[in-house]
Amino acid sequence: MNTQQYYEDLKLLARQVRAEHGLTSPRVLLGDLRRIYAHYGIEVDEWPYRFRNLRGAFINDDLGATVMLAKGLPQDPMVFTMAHELKHYFRDRHLGISYCDQSNLKKSLEIGAEIFAAELLFPDRDFISHMSAMRIRQEQCLPKTLIELKRKTGTTLSYAGLAIKAERLGYAPSHSLTTIKTWRRLEALYSPPVRRPTPARFQI
Amino acid sequence: MDLLEHIAATIKDLRVNYNSGEGLSQDALAKQLKVAPNTISRWETGTYCPSVTDVERISRFFGVSMMAFMPPEMIGKEEDENLKALLRTARQLHPADLEELQKYAEFRRARGIYQGKTRPKAGRKGGKHK
Repeated sequence: MNTQQYYEDLKLLARQVRAEHGLTSPRVLLGDLRRIYAHYGIEVDEWPYRFRNLRGAFINDDLGATVMLAKGLPQDPMVFTMAHELKHYFRDRHLGISYCDQSNLKKSLEIGAEIFAAELLFPDRDFISHMSAMRIRQEQCLPKTLIELKRKTGTTLSYAGLAIKAERLGYAPSHSLTTIKTWRRLEALYSPPVRRPTPARFQI
Repeated sequence: MDLLEHIAATIKDLRVNYNSGEGLSQDALAKQLKVAPNTISRWETGTYCPSVTDVERISRFFGVSMMAFMPPEMIGKEEDENLKALLRTARQLHPADLEELQKYAEFRRARGIYQGKTRPKAGRKGGKHK
């Protein structure tokens, strides 16, 4: 199996997991992943101490399969890390330990885990149908499009994940979205103005 | 020595020999660990067994491995090797992260001992070869 086939196989696996566990939208929550973990008997530990770069680790030995999650991850990165570690459970259990930080992100096992996680949270075909519903054609996807997509679907896949997907599927030119580091600022910029509720008037 | 006795003796030993033999009172240790003063006494006499999370906090305070609280016969050479092998594969990590991951791996191993999840050793009573 070449690398491309390996990645496609992981996407297929992610779609199977979604189907088996009733995940029907791109909004996959921590509770969904906890339920999937419980189904496979994977223990989850949220380690109450901080790491510099490490987001999570998967350990499988005579004590069973355990995923350690770093403290302080916001909800979306936490969901993504849990999805990422789930791939290690399915495919890399024999390795004993897999960890996820900046130093090993270019290894095919880790790239595979990222692809699996992105497909588990937001399958490519769902992304394509949303793009089509939004009338976005090839190379037309702008930062604003992804902000609108995230708002509309409530997806827990991060902007970075959505940007990779949009470029890989040809909806945006290479490096046009994945180089953006200021998604939160852009999100605020493109958000509809917040209407402050008019203060209730006291009736005398 | 069983697990409870070993933990009790280790806590006392670490407390009494704290800071190159200067020692630390039970009250002072209780303050550091944010527990009631008589809890330390109960841990040291084996009246109560500290939870695995308490043992982790105690080991962190004294700067020792959690494995020091586990009776050597319960750790087993094979488990010890497993732990080292696991961490060898993670040596590319930032040193601080590797150290924290090691602490987590020890916590996990200690929890396994607490829960009686250790693998039966070859040659034990009731084994195949008597």
